[in-house]
Amino acid sequence: MTFGTKVPAKYFDGVKARSHAATATLIQMPDGDVLQIAVEGGKVLYWGAKDLRELQDQAGSGGIVLSHSEFPSARLVISDKGAADMIRKVGVNLGRQDRAPGTWRKVMGWGGAAVGSVVLLIFVIIPALSDTMAGLIPAEQEAALGRGTLRQIENLLGADEDGLACSTTAGDAALAKMTRRVLGDLDPGYDLNVQVFDNSMVNAFAVPGGNIVLFQGLIDASDTPEEVAAVLAHEIGHVVKRDPTRLALRSAGSVGILGLMLGDFAGGALMLILAERLIAASYSQEAEAAADRFAFDRMRAAGLPVEPFAVFFEKLQAEHGSTPSLLSHLASHPDLAARAAAARDAAQDIGDFTPVLSPSEWDALKTICKG
Amino acid sequence: MDGPDPDVMSPKWVTADYLGSATPLFWLGLRTSLLTLLTLGLYRFWARTRVRRYFWSSITLEGDPLEYTGKGLEKFLGFLIAVAFLAVYLGIFQLILSFLGLSVFSADETGEFGGALQLAWTQASLILIVPFIFYAQYRARRYVLSRTQWRGIRFGAEPAAWGYVWRALGHWIVTIISLGLLAPRMVFWLEKYRVDRTWFGNTRFEQGGTWTMLYPAMRHIFIAFALLAIGALLIFGLQSGFSVLFFMVGGVWVYFGLVYFRVESFRILAQHKSLGDIGFKSTVRPSEIFWTQILGGVLASAVAGLFFGVLFGMSVGILGTVTDLEGAAEQFFETGLETVQPQVWLGFAAMIVSYLLFLLLYGVFLMIFVIQPILERYVKATLIENAGALEDVEQRLRDDMVEAEGFADALDVGPAI
Repeated sequence: MTFGTKVPAKYFDGVKARSHAATATLIQMPDGDVLQIAVEGGKVLYWGAKDLRELQDQAGSGGIVLSHSEFPSARLVISDKGAADMIRKVGVNLGRQDRAPGTWRKVMGWGGAAVGSVVLLIFVIIPALSDTMAGLIPAEQEAALGRGTLRQIENLLGADEDGLACSTTAGDAALAKMTRRVLGDLDPGYDLNVQVFDNSMVNAFAVPGGNIVLFQGLIDASDTPEEVAAVLAHEIGHVVKRDPTRLALRSAGSVGILGLMLGDFAGGALMLILAERLIAASYSQEAEAAADRFAFDRMRAAGLPVEPFAVFFEKLQAEHGSTPSLLSHLASHPDLAARAAAARDAAQDIGDFTPVLSPSEWDALKTICKG
Repeated sequence: MDGPDPDVMSPKWVTADYLGSATPLFWLGLRTSLLTLLTLGLYRFWARTRVRRYFWSSITLEGDPLEYTGKGLEKFLGFLIAVAFLAVYLGIFQLILSFLGLSVFSADETGEFGGALQLAWTQASLILIVPFIFYAQYRARRYVLSRTQWRGIRFGAEPAAWGYVWRALGHWIVTIISLGLLAPRMVFWLEKYRVDRTWFGNTRFEQGGTWTMLYPAMRHIFIAFALLAIGALLIFGLQSGFSVLFFMVGGVWVYFGLVYFRVESFRILAQHKSLGDIGFKSTVRPSEIFWTQILGGVLASAVAGLFFGVLFGMSVGILGTVTDLEGAAEQFFETGLETVQPQVWLGFAAMIVSYLLFLLLYGVFLMIFVIQPILERYVKATLIENAGALEDVEQRLRDDMVEAEGFADALDVGPAI
């Protein structure tokens, strides 16, 4: 198509569902090219080239479907490919989106409301509600839940029917003595059930309802019973604050909202898991730091030094290194170096102190899994 | 093309046509899926819109295509509105349900039974969301109709979502109580509710017929259940070996029976739909749809799997050149990227990328091997009587629908295309 040639076209006026035959001609004008549309029945329309809009992503070969920016319902269909290419050359605004005034303001406004809604939910409402609800669950219920969780963890670690818990008369007595010393006159709100699992991991954890587990590996890695006592105090801190239950509730709430936001697309599940881990990690790191502070207080109240706690972290750090900054956001615990530093800050020189276990009791505890 | 001479009164049947093909759809699907992945899902509203424009413009009647006038920004805005309302509601909802689950269902000592109960509780609690799902589905349909036009004239649906919600709930309850036997009743009445409130321009659609006319469409479901029942009887009888055979065949037959019901009921319902003086007919065949779905699905998995195999194989090859993989992994987690050989993190990154690309390609292949062919069959099997009367249909007012199909997007219950 060149200027002046007539091409056949179809015209829809957007008033009735009728197809009108038409011819279209490109005319060069001083203040902009114009598409002259002669519709059957005598009507002649003039659509300026800068007002032409093209419909995108259309099936069908060649051709072009045009609308006018001021008459959004009318359509002009030209099947000839040459004509379509010519119009694409002269139509300077073919791809422009004509939006109603105020659209961007609406998008910004609702975008802000959506973000605000989600932020409020994840950082204020869910934590507050989880904490309240964790307090409402009856303690016996939680204890039963915790025992069930323990079974599942044992299975995960490859236990047989006898379970992973170690027990010797002397070892149990030593453990009970340590627990009493660390607890002092504090009422944890549950019947504490402290066990040692026969596993080489250097770790300890608490499950809902007052159940605490220390791994044999942690005891092996400790040089003094005060190091173990510090870790026990930390875990008791989790129990007293009902952390396992609170954090489980928080995760439940945030997973739901994240699924909502991310929607359904390829790779979406991966993003959901990452995002959920990030949020869980931030809740968790906060709880871990609080448990550390609880441990400092307990050790001081029991007349025990806090320094062994710092030594323990520094030992772990020497063996395993610090968390690379990339992964520190995903870690459930704050960085080891930071924890060691916090413990050092809290440590005071208390001079002589009554050891938490006598040498024979310490031996008994170290061999609790050999009985 | 002009319409028929209005003086000719005899009704005339015309067929619809389908113009779309695999290659342009493949590239459109691939481009939009990649952009969606790269924008962490944000582009998905524009992606959906573009793909719909392609599908809609593939469908033509009397040589003139359907047009989808929805915009990506509009869909995105709808989603934001939904999130702003739903976020607080759903988050608190989930929390309360978890709390009730934890406190009401106590785990017994073994932990397993309690775990199962808790799982059942979370599933059961979804029932409370169901009314919103029906609401969202009606609104989504209304939005898509309001953004569809032919020859410049808009389709539309009346704002009747809440009426749909309580009817749908009632019908589902009846269907469940009747163990599925009264399903045709539900299908008919809900279809009638939707269709009687659907418009093209200033003319209203109407669904005629009765619900009992859909029972022939249930025939293969009944056959399947008969097979399963025989299998069950054989277990208690003598031939327990044969019962497995009956269960297997019965299971596959149930799947075929569901497809058969969906296609046949569509066909029967279409025959009784009308738009003013205009009538409809469909010659679509259930077996065609069934085989397209199965073979297309297999083809999509196979081709996507092939790409995945090649990419995954390459990444394994890269990792294979590393001598101490376990040590390298430990090193990575402890000291970070700097100290680890490039092959290691390159290899792991390649594995993740190949998995994501597989998911993406599978979605695109499903579109060109299953969704488009099935759509094409339905369209080409559509017959319209007295199409000339369409020329007299006049334009209807634009239905604003600011929240678009946001609720359906948020709850993930939107239309398939």
